[in-house]
Amino acid sequence: MLSAVPESESLAAAPGAADVADVAVQTFALSLRYGARQALSGVDLAVPRRRITALIGPSGSGKSSLLRCLNRLNDEIADARVDGRVLVGDTDAYAKDTLLHDLRRRVGMVFQRPNPFPLSIHDNVAYGLRLLGIRRRRELDERIEAALQAAALWDEVAARLDDSAFDLSLGQQQRLVIARAIAVEPEILMLDEPASALDPAATLRFEELLHELAQRYTLLLVTHNMQQAARVSDFTAFLHQGRLVEFGDTDALFTNPRERQTEDFITGRYG
Amino acid sequence: MNARRYGAAGTWLVAGLSGVCVGAIVLLFGFLASAGLAPFWPAPVEAVQLRDGSTVLGEIVASEATGLSGALAIRTSELERMGSAYQRVRSSDIAARSQPADAVAITLVDGRRLYGRGSDGEEALLAAAAAPVQAIEIVRPNALGVLARCSVFFHRLARFLATPPAASNLVGGVLPALLGTLTLVLLMSLIVMPFGIATAIYLHRRRGFAARCVRIAINQLAGVPSIVYGVIGLGLFVHGLGGGIDRLFYADRLPVPTFGGGGLLWAALTLALLTLPVVVVSVEEGLARIPSSLREGSLALGATHDEALWTLLLPAARPALLTGLILAVARAAGAVAPLMLVGVVKLAPALPVDGVFPYLHPSREFMHLGFTIYDAALASADAIRGVPRAYACAGLLVGVVLVLNLTAILLRNRLRDRYRALET
Repeated sequence: MLSAVPESESLAAAPGAADVADVAVQTFALSLRYGARQALSGVDLAVPRRRITALIGPSGSGKSSLLRCLNRLNDEIADARVDGRVLVGDTDAYAKDTLLHDLRRRVGMVFQRPNPFPLSIHDNVAYGLRLLGIRRRRELDERIEAALQAAALWDEVAARLDDSAFDLSLGQQQRLVIARAIAVEPEILMLDEPASALDPAATLRFEELLHELAQRYTLLLVTHNMQQAARVSDFTAFLHQGRLVEFGDTDALFTNPRERQTEDFITGRYG
Repeated sequence: MNARRYGAAGTWLVAGLSGVCVGAIVLLFGFLASAGLAPFWPAPVEAVQLRDGSTVLGEIVASEATGLSGALAIRTSELERMGSAYQRVRSSDIAARSQPADAVAITLVDGRRLYGRGSDGEEALLAAAAAPVQAIEIVRPNALGVLARCSVFFHRLARFLATPPAASNLVGGVLPALLGTLTLVLLMSLIVMPFGIATAIYLHRRRGFAARCVRIAINQLAGVPSIVYGVIGLGLFVHGLGGGIDRLFYADRLPVPTFGGGGLLWAALTLALLTLPVVVVSVEEGLARIPSSLREGSLALGATHDEALWTLLLPAARPALLTGLILAVARAAGAVAPLMLVGVVKLAPALPVDGVFPYLHPSREFMHLGFTIYDAALASADAIRGVPRAYACAGLLVGVVLVLNLTAILLRNRLRDRYRALET
């Protein structure tokens, strides 16, 4: 199946990308239209496993739309139309026999604004686990603790798991929704401008957390902050007007971009 | 400058209109309370001496001023039947009025009032009643202090709330009507909420032609006069559904109807139909107000649409559900016209709820406070008793609606606190 598809040019040509044999999510000629508006056109992207991949680009370049294609959240929008293929692991995300809820469990997502549910801290993290049918108190508690530990929130909330999630600070809420997402063990975790609502100190701690998470998870990070992309990511993809302009090793892309548009963007001359 | 002047005028206008609203509410409650509660207060028994030498003993129930000379309406001992002993005495005929301390007022179980004087007046009066009925209250109102009068007042109020009526619903308590109203409203809520919520969910999810038709239909339903619902209930539920059940299951009892007559269930169904639009509209608004981030967050964790709905969206919409319920209860408790066609009666032989299995009897005819108001005010044989009774029932009905609403509002405010963070 994979070999039938032409290898993504940018991936093959990108310096430092050659050692990426292991791909978590891959798109082939992915196009997306919202009604008459073309949001993505012909995106071929391979997201390396257990690495941090940053998606950068000006506003409206299709970064968030791309994320929403991977977990098929665009299906919820009435006039959205997706063409092309998306492989999550070995699963064709848009195949007829793909179970939507299973796909979405495997492709975790953290939204731009923290969106804790109006439940207790405990129940927020338990939400996805309960959907999976986990009911036993002990197993739930163990997995909730593990998820909160992984999201670096456990020490702050261990004593007040039954408090409302809205009592947490914005930074804590962001880590809570990350804990909620990774509690169900997704194969890839997509983060849509996750630090945009955080203050600088919280942002720094948050970036450390991303590095720790990358030990175990594949991260796909949308950011409008190029310094952040340069600091935390291993790979960077530059999107412009719905097209993938350039993809490659972060250091290479930022120091020596191959495309003129990329250079304009990262030097601040554009966007 | 102009804007400021208009602003001040607007402020005064708003303040004035709000004041009118508040004033109207205060006036309404004050009037209902004073007019409705007056009969519970022990009125003095007067001995009115006439110029011809005779004495009339009784309660002054009305005094009228016609031209130069006025007149008094006095209720004297009702020896035969209730409402039979009113006397109209012209002021010019009155020689003297007094409130003797030894006057006794006796209330009989059947509602009659007897008046007498003297320390042994009670037995004599009871004997005079010459009927096998008991006295439920013997007071000497003129000799009572304020505290004792209060005690009589509260005893009468308690009897009003907790006993069945007497004398074809002219006096006595309104317990069956109160219970009937409460049972009806609760049953109606149980029926309308699931249907209303389900419809609201459907309208919230679908945007197609069918959904538009449903929406238009619901909105039209809100504009139909309530008496029309009574006719619909009569035709659809009582005769159609009830008659069908009778033909199928109780054919041996026909032509005596079992379900094919007016009854609690049919009245509740009719009211549910009547209140469906308000529930649908408020629940749908509530669902629409929930931020989409909540729904998408749930879907992104692998929830199906139904799971997101049941685990997150409906719980978050609970304040709106309660708003719908509040509006529905307020509307249902006040609807009398449709009920008169589908099962409300002046006097029901049995309560709709009792201790006999199955405890709730949905096919029984029932009494209702709203209908009792109408009945007491217009169809009563004794207007002097009937009209204050209508006010008392009206006050009670408003009180019931108020208590139900306050409960729901308190509950809603507690829920709202929990979901406040969602609104931002």
